[in-house]
Amino acid sequence: MRRFSLPATFLFLLAVVPAHAHVGSPDVFCEGNAGPYHLFVTIRVPQVIPGVAEIQVHTESPDIRTVQVVPLRLTGPGSNFPPTPDLATSSKDDPQFFTASLWLMEWGALQVRILVDGPQGKGELSVPVPSFAQRTMPMQKSLGALLLVLMLVLSVGVISIVGACVREGNLEPSEIPAPRNKRAAKWVMAASAVAVLAILYLARAWWGLEAQNFQRRVDFYKSPVAQATLVNGNRLVIRAKHENPRWYDYVKMEELLPDHDHLMHLFLIRSPGLDSMWHLHPDRMADGTFAEDLPAMPEGRYEIFADIVDKRGYPWTLVGSIDMPQINGKLTPGDDSSWSGAPLSASPGNSTISQLSGGGRIVWQCASAPLKANVPLEFKFSVQEEHGNPAQDMQPYMGMAGHAEFVRSDFSVFAHLHPAGSVSMAALELAQTGLPASSPMQAPMPMPMPAATVPISPEVRFPYGFPQPGDYRIFLQIKHSGRIDTGVFDARVQ
Amino acid sequence: MADAIPIPVPSRVQASPVDRISAEAISIPWYIWSCLVAVLSSVVGGAWDISWHESVGRDTFWTPAHMLIYLCGVLSGISCGYLILSTTFRKDSPLRASSISMWSFRGPMGAFICAWGGVAMITSAPFDNWWHEAYGLDVKILSPPHVLLALGMLAIRFGTLVMVLSELNRAHGAYRAKLERLLFFVFTFLMGMTLGIAQEYTGRVLMHGASFYVVVMLIAPIWLAAVATASKHPWAATIMTAMYTAVHFAFTWLLPLVPAEPKLGPVYQKITHLVPPDFPLLLIVPAIVFDLTRRATANWNRWAQAVTLAAAFLASFAAVQWPFADFLMSPAARNWFFAADNYPYFVPPASPWVRNVFVPTEPTLTAFWVRMATALLVGALMTLIGLAWGDWMRRIRR
Repeated sequence: MRRFSLPATFLFLLAVVPAHAHVGSPDVFCEGNAGPYHLFVTIRVPQVIPGVAEIQVHTESPDIRTVQVVPLRLTGPGSNFPPTPDLATSSKDDPQFFTASLWLMEWGALQVRILVDGPQGKGELSVPVPSFAQRTMPMQKSLGALLLVLMLVLSVGVISIVGACVREGNLEPSEIPAPRNKRAAKWVMAASAVAVLAILYLARAWWGLEAQNFQRRVDFYKSPVAQATLVNGNRLVIRAKHENPRWYDYVKMEELLPDHDHLMHLFLIRSPGLDSMWHLHPDRMADGTFAEDLPAMPEGRYEIFADIVDKRGYPWTLVGSIDMPQINGKLTPGDDSSWSGAPLSASPGNSTISQLSGGGRIVWQCASAPLKANVPLEFKFSVQEEHGNPAQDMQPYMGMAGHAEFVRSDFSVFAHLHPAGSVSMAALELAQTGLPASSPMQAPMPMPMPAATVPISPEVRFPYGFPQPGDYRIFLQIKHSGRIDTGVFDARVQ
Repeated sequence: MADAIPIPVPSRVQASPVDRISAEAISIPWYIWSCLVAVLSSVVGGAWDISWHESVGRDTFWTPAHMLIYLCGVLSGISCGYLILSTTFRKDSPLRASSISMWSFRGPMGAFICAWGGVAMITSAPFDNWWHEAYGLDVKILSPPHVLLALGMLAIRFGTLVMVLSELNRAHGAYRAKLERLLFFVFTFLMGMTLGIAQEYTGRVLMHGASFYVVVMLIAPIWLAAVATASKHPWAATIMTAMYTAVHFAFTWLLPLVPAEPKLGPVYQKITHLVPPDFPLLLIVPAIVFDLTRRATANWNRWAQAVTLAAAFLASFAAVQWPFADFLMSPAARNWFFAADNYPYFVPPASPWVRNVFVPTEPTLTAFWVRMATALLVGALMTLIGLAWGDWMRRIRR
């Protein structure tokens, strides 16, 4: 057995991952209703902010007249006055497919409102968009060379002009410059050269400062670290850690929004291999940490992904890792769930059937074509009873038909999805409250289900697109007959 | 060597250049008109562009405001390029005698400065485009590529000024009076542009802080001193500032007549028309005081004169602008005349600007007075530079 340096703290990752809520998966996928029209929306957020987001809208209705898109803040000032909407362009090949380019001007929690007009009247759907820059674009070498040449021309030009002005500028027409003028011009040119160098130095320093400020903002929106500590042998305590002290003023733990019933959704995934996964819901403590007594867990290194939503509706995923010994605890009754099975490395390629521990199975209705990165897809899963019939005992799990986690083998991608897509449920609810009262479909979608009495289809769908090629494991979690089950599928993405 | 190029000297110039100019060149040369149109184009384009960004937001290469700014570069570039090439290669060019030489080219001094401005404007375009790709579209005036563009536009204005001065300093009579009016015209837009570049630091919320006065003293006195010295007119500073104020009024009152609505979001302020610039600074008062003081101190030592002029400027400006800032914050200023209730679409309601509260820029009273003393010192230095620069301008012949 491996020995651990107990007592108090086992640790811990400390690398800041370049992403935000969800990890390595910045694009937004959302499925919902704009009034009577069912939409599948993909928002590809720009690399820098302000920048242009590419929006794709696929409608189920074949006779949509127009689709317009407009950005607003998700909450507070800026969420009241929409600017003039942009008209999305209908595809020539597919009249149900619309695209638009939309400027996102601000960082933070935004929404993109989709306005649809068709034979059944008008409808609106608001999609929350976490707006953040992903990186600073470097300058291309050719452009750098061009700007360098132009800078030299301008620098030498200004020195030469100043020299010529001093040498000849004050001479009467036709007068030849005297040696005195020429000497003066040389001195002034030398002084100008020093001044130009000083200006270039200061300009470079200013540029550096601007770049530094921008990078600071990029870093601000990176995933905070989940600093994990094991206390008393089985109590996991998680504290959000951010390198920028101002983050703690911006995201106050006591002001977090509950996201489908819980303030934090914590995922512990054993690495390497992703052969065990826990989906837990720690409680918030008075000191701003989150804590939960762990269930029985085998020893090993666990990657931590903890989803929270701040008061503005901006979703954050705390990221970390922890080495743990064997834990002897009990799974908290309620919404906590777990899965253990074969490691990812043992099953490369796509697996489409997952047997459930309590009998029955889940079938991924995966197309035979290879999966490709950056393609919006609808993932369909059928829950079946032991003999292959569609499950009749489906129940809402935390208000929804299912939850899915898409995890890349190296943990560089983590996305926590629902049938409404990759958006946070708390943010989605905030976005819909801003819609006009006349909108016939205020509470859209296959999302928060008000009561367990509502029959749930055994077919669960998730809109999503893999952000990069690689091997992924998909954890699909559903509830039936009062039991939470997890189906696991492996996918190879090109 | 450029200096070795033989210069054909027209006999009329040799005889008496000044007389010939006043007698024969009674109409303003085409290239000066061309550059003046370019300057006006960039003035209107610049003000329109800022208002466009504050009201509509979305920007393309082809907005009317951008077209006017490009026209400035194109017009001055073509006319000055032609001027330089024709002066260089036409041995009988009438401008050859009154030109300077640089890199084996010959041409009027102002033409080279304008050409430099055109190259700077062109350079700023790919630089600004990359800046947007790297750091996002910047919704502010002061960024490195924007400053390079502004330097280019300033150079075109200054080059035009030099062209006017080279004619003015060799002219007299009615022709000189005509050129003097053009001199005020160009000086007005030079001062206007520098004040425009700094407008993020001269908003009304800052007017009860000493930093505001440092910025104004850094910009305004140099132009007042330069125009006063360069023109010889007893009311030069007053005339230039009055023109600046009149042009500013025109933008403040005319731009809101154009309907507009934001095409970018989030939108924090409801916009129905183009957002005008703020009410102009009350520079006209210190300009009058400046002209009066200049006359009273005409025979003083330059340093003493500069300090006195700066002190007179600062005292009179603070005396009117400080209480006027209070007025601008009041409901009485929220009308079409004073335009104090016009905010860009992107200004949040919690902003001090919208809440009409002053932003303190100095933490203590001592810091305030130290910075006011700095403003005086800066003003004196800039006045001194302006006086010397104006002297140099009076000697421009080419």
